[in-house]
Amino acid sequence: MTDTGPTAIKTTVPRRILDVRGLSKHFPVTVGILRREVAKIRAVDDVTFHVHAGETLGLVGESGCGKTTTGRCLLRALDPTAGEIIFDPGDVEPVDVAALKGKALKVLRQDMQMVFQDPFSSLNPRWTLLDLVGEPLVAYGVSRGKALETRVAELLRSVGLRPEYMRRYPHAFSGGERQRIGIARALALNPKLVVADEPVSALDVSVRAQTLNLLADLQEELSLTYIFISHDLSVVQHICDRVVVMYSGRVVEVADTDDLFSAPLHPYTEALLSAVPKPNPDAAKNRIVLKGEIADPANAPSGCAFHPRCTYAKDICRQQAPPLTTMESGREVRCHLAAELTLAGVN
Amino acid sequence: MSDKTAAVPTDSVTPGPERLALQKRVDLSVASPSYLMWLKFRRHRLAVASAVVVIMLYVIAAFAEFIAPHDPEKQNALNAYQSPTQIHFFDNSGQFHLRPFVFGTTSVRNPDTFELEFADDTTVRHPIRLLVRGDPYKMWGVFQSDIHLFGVADPDAKFFLLGSDKQGRDLFSRIVYGTRISMSIGLVGVLLSFVIGIIIGGISGYFGGVVDIVLQRVIEFVRSMPTIPLWLGLAAALPSDWSIMQIYFSITIILSLIGWTGLAQVVRGRALALREEDFIMAARLSGTSQTRIILRHMVPSFMSHIIAALTLAVPEMIIAETALSFLGLGLRFPAISWGVLLQEAQNLRSVALAPWLLAPGGMVVISVLALNFFGDGLRDAADPYRN
Ligand SMILES: Nc1ncnc2c1ncn2[C@@H]1O[C@H](COP(=O)(O)OP(=O)(O)OP(=O)(O)O)[C@@H](O)[C@H]1O
Ligand SMILES: [Mg+2]
Repeated sequence: MTDTGPTAIKTTVPRRILDVRGLSKHFPVTVGILRREVAKIRAVDDVTFHVHAGETLGLVGESGCGKTTTGRCLLRALDPTAGEIIFDPGDVEPVDVAALKGKALKVLRQDMQMVFQDPFSSLNPRWTLLDLVGEPLVAYGVSRGKALETRVAELLRSVGLRPEYMRRYPHAFSGGERQRIGIARALALNPKLVVADEPVSALDVSVRAQTLNLLADLQEELSLTYIFISHDLSVVQHICDRVVVMYSGRVVEVADTDDLFSAPLHPYTEALLSAVPKPNPDAAKNRIVLKGEIADPANAPSGCAFHPRCTYAKDICRQQAPPLTTMESGREVRCHLAAELTLAGVN
Repeated sequence: MSDKTAAVPTDSVTPGPERLALQKRVDLSVASPSYLMWLKFRRHRLAVASAVVVIMLYVIAAFAEFIAPHDPEKQNALNAYQSPTQIHFFDNSGQFHLRPFVFGTTSVRNPDTFELEFADDTTVRHPIRLLVRGDPYKMWGVFQSDIHLFGVADPDAKFFLLGSDKQGRDLFSRIVYGTRISMSIGLVGVLLSFVIGIIIGGISGYFGGVVDIVLQRVIEFVRSMPTIPLWLGLAAALPSDWSIMQIYFSITIILSLIGWTGLAQVVRGRALALREEDFIMAARLSGTSQTRIILRHMVPSFMSHIIAALTLAVPEMIIAETALSFLGLGLRFPAISWGVLLQEAQNLRSVALAPWLLAPGGMVVISVLALNFFGDGLRDAADPYRN
């Protein structure tokens, strides 16, 4: 894990550890015994973004917008319908994750790991910590026996758990502690990229900050790159370098965190930001309450998927789907009116 | 039934592992899954008691020759329709004896009807002893012996705990022997259904999709068939010259033809649920192989559910066998099962004359209830991590 450090300093343009192009995942909706396909859920539709080595990229959006599906496609827990996922670990040739099979996929997964949202269902209750944290090590034949115990102890210590707990079962631990076990597991093989799918949303508020700090410390220590999936914008503002905003399976805006929060370019981002609790109580009055339903990914509206809920919508929004365009500032947004509107951020 | 067992008000004292873990943290944090299941099972008093009954029944089934005080086939016209022999502790002089005993009998011919009638001969005491010598038997068809668990030493003494039948055979001994066939037919039948059920259910749940839909329709079809006529038809088709063994196995096969559907659905349900579990995906992402995921993650997490489902399927089989045999279409003479024994109670006259002939029915009730309560307890304990 020492190789990415110097690289990051040497180059001014950070290396893209992950380059996602046109990623789509459609789930068929079928009826009857013959499973005739009547519709498609476009859970992820033509998603393009990249991740810089060493950064934390936030993936935000309302429930059902396809964040989890995107994250799972990146790790190939799901097979994408279309698109490329170019992974460049730095020390070896970049690969297209979307095209990998069998052994190559297994090799890749050493470098990409996942932290799950639910620390209860993601740990087999019938396994001890040693088995759980050691599972990847055993699966890859990295270590066994005494060496395995030593490594597991080391991993447990690195996430702030006592190695003596190794023989215990997960039921003896609280949600926060379990999430640490999940993190230790994800880090067992020294991955370069970790996809954290709402890693703190199932936790008590009191242990959220702790867990986020742990993630930040580990990132520093192990030069990790994070994709941080969340719907909690205040957390995202706190820990992410850049943010991808998704709506109904599509990317609507990509920006550096500071830019995004101070001057959003997409009306949907503005609406999300207006819902973030603010220190200034007067500002709360300006909250934009989104009307209507979240667009149904099985039956998306014509034109811009967001137009039925958008206060700025014009005719063009109803008729034409806007492309994801790069503005002069270098920021990307999917809105016809991006150049005309001046939207309110926070602060 | 499960409601009743669940209602045992122990909630505040011994809740799920979560809170238990807090009370006895050191202990339980390293408690294995099976220990947690035991803790949870133990809270269902009725299930625990039933487990004891079930174990006793299977012990009786295993050691029938030793436990039965008489040879179940030993006929004696003089002993026809004997009512259950009374066991006494006090002799005719009112003296208490720690060792229970039965009185001897004298027979008198009724001067009006000229029938032999029996009366207790209170001057003769036959103490009931443990490990007495009696009718010779061959344990499991192998070991020759004549030692019985209990009985009276005098071979001529009448000692019929549950009375005797028309041929003067000891009903208690016959029920003990019947336990062997009745309890084992359920077990063998269930094992057979289990094999069919786990394969079909596993395929259905694992592959999902069209395979699942087709298999589900098949299961629904099989389930919708009225079982009794089907069994009757199949059982009636068995050749009458087959040996007991052949009939026995054919009957189990017939019974499990229906029984597998329930098990298949349990297996399928668990497999479908497990496919969605995050820890299965987590294992996949950790590079664990498919075989290892099935063997180390999936099988252990549904084994307990399957055992519970199996336990609950046994009583159905027992009832089915009893019904078939009672109707003369299942096992038949000289096999001894509870159903076969109940055939004797088919005509009203003999029941009126000798109501104890219904005793095998009592055994069916006891075993079915015990297995059901036991199965309920197992099912509730199968997932100690819930709540
Ligand atoms: N296996 C599946 N089959 C069919 N549809 C699915 C499947 N998985 C997800 N979807 C659909 O895809 C859409 C996106 O789901 P996804 O779980 O990615 O959303 P999300 O942004 O993670 O939401 P949340 O914040 O609730 O976790 C939803 O409409 C969901 O119903
Ligand atoms: Mg999600």
